Amino acid sequence: MNGGMSSVMLVARREIATHIRTKAFLLGLLITAVLVGGVAFAPKVFDRPDSYKIGTVHSQQLPLKAAAPEAEFEWRAFPDEAAAKKAVLDGDVDAALIDNTKVLTDGEIESELGVLLQSTSRELKLGAAGVQVQPLQMVSVGADTRYQAARTGIAVVLVVVLFMLIIGQVMMVAMGVVEEKGSRIVEILLTSVRPWQLLAGKIIGLGALGLINLVTILVVGVSASVVSGVAVDFPPGLPGIVAGVLVWFVLGYAFFATLAAALSSLVSRQEEVGNVMSPLTMLMMVTYFGAFYVTSDPTGPLARVVSLVPPFSSMVMPVRMAAADVPFWEVGLSMVLMVLAVLGVLSFGAKVYERAVLRTGARVKLRDVLRVK
Amino acid sequence: MLEISELRKRFAGGPDAPEGKVALDGISFVVRPGEMFGFVGANGAGKTTTMRIVMGVLQPDAGSVSWQSRALEYADRRRFGYMPEERGLYQKMRVADQVEYFGRLHGMDVAAARAATGDLLERLGLTERRGDAVEALSLGNQQRVQLAVALVHDPEVLVLDEPFSGLDPIAVDALATVLQERCRGGVPVIFSSHQLELVERLCDSVGIVSAGRMVASGTVGDLRAVEGRTLRVVVRDPAPGWADGLPGTVTVTGDRHVLLATDGDDQEILRRAMKAGQVEHFGTEQPTLTEIFKEAVA
Repeated sequence: MNGGMSSVMLVARREIATHIRTKAFLLGLLITAVLVGGVAFAPKVFDRPDSYKIGTVHSQQLPLKAAAPEAEFEWRAFPDEAAAKKAVLDGDVDAALIDNTKVLTDGEIESELGVLLQSTSRELKLGAAGVQVQPLQMVSVGADTRYQAARTGIAVVLVVVLFMLIIGQVMMVAMGVVEEKGSRIVEILLTSVRPWQLLAGKIIGLGALGLINLVTILVVGVSASVVSGVAVDFPPGLPGIVAGVLVWFVLGYAFFATLAAALSSLVSRQEEVGNVMSPLTMLMMVTYFGAFYVTSDPTGPLARVVSLVPPFSSMVMPVRMAAADVPFWEVGLSMVLMVLAVLGVLSFGAKVYERAVLRTGARVKLRDVLRVK
Repeated sequence: MLEISELRKRFAGGPDAPEGKVALDGISFVVRPGEMFGFVGANGAGKTTTMRIVMGVLQPDAGSVSWQSRALEYADRRRFGYMPEERGLYQKMRVADQVEYFGRLHGMDVAAARAATGDLLERLGLTERRGDAVEALSLGNQQRVQLAVALVHDPEVLVLDEPFSGLDPIAVDALATVLQERCRGGVPVIFSSHQLELVERLCDSVGIVSAGRMVASGTVGDLRAVEGRTLRVVVRDPAPGWADGLPGTVTVTGDRHVLLATDGDDQEILRRAMKAGQVEHFGTEQPTLTEIFKEAVA
């Protein structure tokens, strides 16, 4: 057994060493890192807090900051109305308050600023008249939705990342299997390693490369969010979500990659890979769209059911966990089912691969492979 | 000792040949330690199928292969060296990395695999290309790498399918030298080839296969003995009818008569020839492997 595992690790190491040196891998890593970093900084760039410049003529500065703590206000005093009017028309200020009685604007006033000025001025005057107004108390009776926007955002990014990584690595497994079969290297390899060792080594090696990619994305994403300040909106359970993503990636990848190896061992030429893989590609696409749908409705009945059914659960569950709180038993059940599915696929895939990989030439029918013995 | 006995293999037929095709029809032979066994036969005779069965790439329908008097197993084959008919290497992998990788797959540790790789590349004249990707090499050089892959783990048995095809004479010599060394070290070597004069020069024994059967096998000397020696006499301008009553056949080219005989009393033949005219040549000739081969598969 010891010798068996060392062969597997040799095969896996070759896969990693061969691909990690290629420009395609390094470039891909760089591009995803830049993209994810960009996503983390995007809210900072596009979603700046409101800021207003307000001019005054014979007026006091209103306590707008107290009413709208998120916004920035900049005050400028003008000697007379004419100067203030010019500043408004030139766009130097957004509005100008004259004699505490009227507001000059260029066209219609921005509604938020208008309401703020109106209500603050009213409160000030009522206060001056001795009337105390109790501000309305806001009470939420629904779920805690403070982090909802951030959670949905994380879920959407996750769907795309998981899908791209899984389909990318799975296609590499398929191409690798056909490379070895088509060039007959497999004939030499199989005199020194067992088919399952070759298969396991290839899947583990390419999976490790996928994990390197995923960890890079997570590290860049989280650190960029901390630097950009977006991270303050992240939900408190983030480390759990990240750990879950890694586990689900491994399970989903193992499922699809094993099937990919089995299917691609049926053909001998690279041109035939797309064709023989099409049912599996379809299955991955359905999983992807399912997961995408779940980002918009993470608590609906469809999301709850699909997040339990393998292999869909491998992408739907992590996305659901990011987008909403999922009961512990559902996560556990989903994981158990997925692990069982992976084990089933491994035994099926290893059998198909072993029987088909030496049968070079025309495409081998899956039926024929399964019928033997 | 590697013993191949009564191998049979039929390939499933397609729609146009429902009967299938018999590739091996009970082939048997033995290769002893330190013996270089040349495997010759027409295309499709069954050489590659036999070698693939020996290496476990194909399963025979019947028959067996044994090594050291035991049924050949996977663990034994791990110590064999194999060069398949259709060459297979990782095109994008570097030469030295590749040879070393196969050494490690055969169970060598890093240091041993590296040392064996360096040594082999040196002998095969590939040291300068060790850092190049295989795809950047000429076909002849790729074949040398293929051979290095088969030899790196110091195999106990070598099974090489057409190792010399497509090589230039210098590469043929380099390869032949390496194989002879291994052979002298006690390793049985089986190789197939269409270059019969090469087989004749290198091999201790030869197997001639035709239509899935071994039609002749043994040492080159044995085969010649079976085929028999031929007496060749050339007489210039002899009297007509000089060879009447003598065994063999006479062909006439100009004023030269050539008598070829495989039996009869050579002294009697010589006396008759000298009486008839001027004897230009008198001697026995051994058949070449090519002649034996043509005779055997005819």
